[in-house]
Amino acid sequence: MSAPEVFQLSVGPLTGVAFSPDRSQVAVCANTNEAQIYARNGDSWELQHTLAEHDKLITAISWAPQTNRIVTCSQDRNAYVWTPTETGWKPALVLLRINRAATCVKWSPKEDKFAVGSGARTIAVCSFDEENNWWVSKHIKKPLRSTVLSIDWHPNNVLLAAGAADAKAYVFSAFIKGVDSKPEPTVFSPSGDVLAFVAHDSSLNVVYPSGPGAPPAAYISVKLPSLPFVNLTFTSESQLIAAGHDCQPIVFSGDQSGWAQSHSLDDPTSSSSRPLTPHATGSRVPSGGVGRLGNNEAFNMFKAADSKGQRSGSSAPGGGSSASSGLTPVGTDGLLLTVHQNSITLVEAYEWSSNGDVSKISTAGKDGRLVLWPVTAKAGGLAGKFGALQV
Amino acid sequence: MSEYAFRKIDIDALDEDVLLPSDLYDPDPRGPDGVLSDAKSKSTEVRNLISRGDTAGALNTILTEPPYGEGVDEAKDITTTALLLILNSTRSTEIPAIVKALGPEQQDHLMAYLYKGMAVLGQGTDVSGSVLLTWHEKLTEVAGVGCIVRVMTDRRTL
Amino acid sequence: MSNTLRPYLNAVRATLTASLTLENFSSQVVERHNKPEVEAHTSPEVLLHPLVVSRNESERVLIEPSVNSIRISIAIKQADEIEKILCHKFTRFMMMRAEGFVILRRKPLPGYDISFLITNFHSESMLKHKLVDFIIQFMEDVDKEISEMKLSLNARARIVAESYLSTFA
Repeated sequence: MSAPEVFQLSVGPLTGVAFSPDRSQVAVCANTNEAQIYARNGDSWELQHTLAEHDKLITAISWAPQTNRIVTCSQDRNAYVWTPTETGWKPALVLLRINRAATCVKWSPKEDKFAVGSGARTIAVCSFDEENNWWVSKHIKKPLRSTVLSIDWHPNNVLLAAGAADAKAYVFSAFIKGVDSKPEPTVFSPSGDVLAFVAHDSSLNVVYPSGPGAPPAAYISVKLPSLPFVNLTFTSESQLIAAGHDCQPIVFSGDQSGWAQSHSLDDPTSSSSRPLTPHATGSRVPSGGVGRLGNNEAFNMFKAADSKGQRSGSSAPGGGSSASSGLTPVGTDGLLLTVHQNSITLVEAYEWSSNGDVSKISTAGKDGRLVLWPVTAKAGGLAGKFGALQV
Repeated sequence: MSEYAFRKIDIDALDEDVLLPSDLYDPDPRGPDGVLSDAKSKSTEVRNLISRGDTAGALNTILTEPPYGEGVDEAKDITTTALLLILNSTRSTEIPAIVKALGPEQQDHLMAYLYKGMAVLGQGTDVSGSVLLTWHEKLTEVAGVGCIVRVMTDRRTL
Repeated sequence: MSNTLRPYLNAVRATLTASLTLENFSSQVVERHNKPEVEAHTSPEVLLHPLVVSRNESERVLIEPSVNSIRISIAIKQADEIEKILCHKFTRFMMMRAEGFVILRRKPLPGYDISFLITNFHSESMLKHKLVDFIIQFMEDVDKEISEMKLSLNARARIVAESYLSTFA
C-alpha cells in the first residue's frame, strides 16, 4: 500500500480546494477572503497567484476541468468566475441576486453553467450572458426553506441535487425527496443512477430512484457508531468514500440490496498507517513518557488506559476500539493517530484509473492539511478486517 | 409610545416561507389518543414482564415505537416512568448483554430516555444519577457516540 | 478519582465529543453576519436537542448544540453556605477575565454556575479533543479547588479564633 501524500498548506482550516484539470495546480482558500493558486513542485506546492476580490470568507471553489475556469463563492453574497490570461487570473462578476451568504458552488458537467447554493433559501443556477458579457442567474426557490449546504450535478447536465439545513435532500427537476436530519453533502454516482447523502445524525443514505413521481426503488440508510460525516464522493458504482468529524476517510461498498462500511483509508489501529509522517509538521512519532520508563511499552499502555480509558496494542477484530466506541484514538503525544488532526470537510476524486474508477482521492480539513489518498482495495492485510466487518 | 410598537414586531415570523419547528418531523400516524392507549397497554405489559424477571423483554417492548412530538405529554410520562422502572430493576452486570441485544433504533431511543431521565433528576423521580450514568456508559461502549449524535439531531422529542 | 465521578465525566466527554461537530455557518436571518446560532436562537432548524448529563441534583452539565456553536453550562457541587460563597467568588473571578479563557462565557445560564461557548472558530483553531479535555479537566479541578479553599479557609478561621481567644485565656 503506497502511503498518502500529506501537505500542510495552512495553519487554519481549508475552506475550499479545487485542483486544476492536469492536477499540476491547486486553488485553495485558507479560511480567508482570498483564494490562492499553488503550483506543484516535486513534493511541495509553491504560491503562484492570489485571487483577491471577495471581502468575506470564501466558502467554495470549483475548477472546470475542460474550460479551465475557476468559480469562487463567498459569504459576502457574491461569486466570481476567474479566467486565465497572460497577466494572471481575470475575475468576472456573477449577478447572483442573493441576499445571504453563498455556501457552495459547482460547475455543471458541460461547464456551460454552475449552481450556487446560498443561505437565502435559494439555489442560483448561473449561465453566461453573451450580450452583456456577464454571468446571470436563475433562482430555484420553491421547496427550499433553509440554508443550502451542498449541491451536485447529475451527469446529464440537467438534474441538480441539494442538501439543505431543513433536514431534507432535494433533487430538482425530478424525482424524490429524501427526508432526514440535516442532509449535508449530496453526490451522484458516476452513472448518475444513484444518489448518496450523509446526514448530521451519523448516517449515510443511498437512494436508487425508479422513475419520475414514483417512490425510489431502494432507500438505504446506514447508521454509524462514529461522529457524523461531512462530505463524500463516489469512487465507482459500488463504492464511495465518506469523511468528516472522525478525521479519517471511510470506504463504503454495496449495491441496491444494501451498503456497509468496508474499511478506513487511515485506520489508526492498523500498523501500516502508523509510521507515516506529514511533510510539514513531522511530529507524529510518539514522544514517549518520562525518564527510564519512557520507552516501556507496558508503562505507556497502562498510562493510556489510566488517563484516557483506552487500550492500545490489542486490535480487536472489526476495527478495534475506535470502531466500537466511535472515538478517534489519541496518541501518547496528545495528537490524533489519524493523518488529519481535525474534521475533514472536503473529499474529492483526484485521479481515475483506466476503467473509470477513482484511484486517488483528495481530502482537506480544518487542520489545513491537504492529503492525497490512494484508494486501497481491500487487499492484503485489510482482507481479514473487511471480512470481519461484514457482519 | 404606542406608535413605536410596530418596531417590535418579529417580521421574520410573518414570512410565509419561514420554517417552523413542527415542519421538521412528521407527526405520529397513530394520533394522540392511539398513542396514549398504546403507552398505557405497554406500561402494563412492562410491569408484568418485570415481575417475571424479563427485563430485556420489557426494555424491548417499551422502546418500540415510543410516543413523540407535541400533545402526547401523558403518554410520554407513562412511558418514561415505565422505562425508569426497568432501568432501576436491572442488575448492573446484566446491562452490557441487554444493550447489545437491542436494535439500533431502540438503542437511539434508550439514549434519548437516559438524557431525559438525567434532565429531570431530583424532580420527583426515584431513579438515581449513578444508575443512569452506568447505563449511559455501557450504551456508549456498544452504540458509540453516533448514538448520542442521533439523539441530538432527532427532532421527534421523546 | 472517586467511583461515581468517573462515569459522570465519561458521559460528559462522550456528549461533548458528539456535539463538537461544528461548521462555519453564516446567519440566514441577518445579512453578512455570522453569529453563534445557539445564542442567536433565530432559526429552529439549526438548533439541536439540548442534553443534560447529571450526577445528582446539584451537579449537572447542560450541553446545547447547534450547527456552528455549542454552549456548555456547568452546575458545581455546593454542599453548604461556605462552598456556595467560594463557588460564587471563584466563578466570578474567572468570568470577569473571560477573554483570557477564550471559550468562557461572561454570564452563566440561569440555574448554572459557569457557562462556556465554543464556536466553530474555536474548533478550527484548536484541536477538538483538546477542547473536550480542557472542559473535563476544568470540571475535575473546580471541585478540588473549592474543597481545598474550604479547608484553608477553615484552617485560617481556626488560627484566627485561637489567637483572638488566647488574649482572654
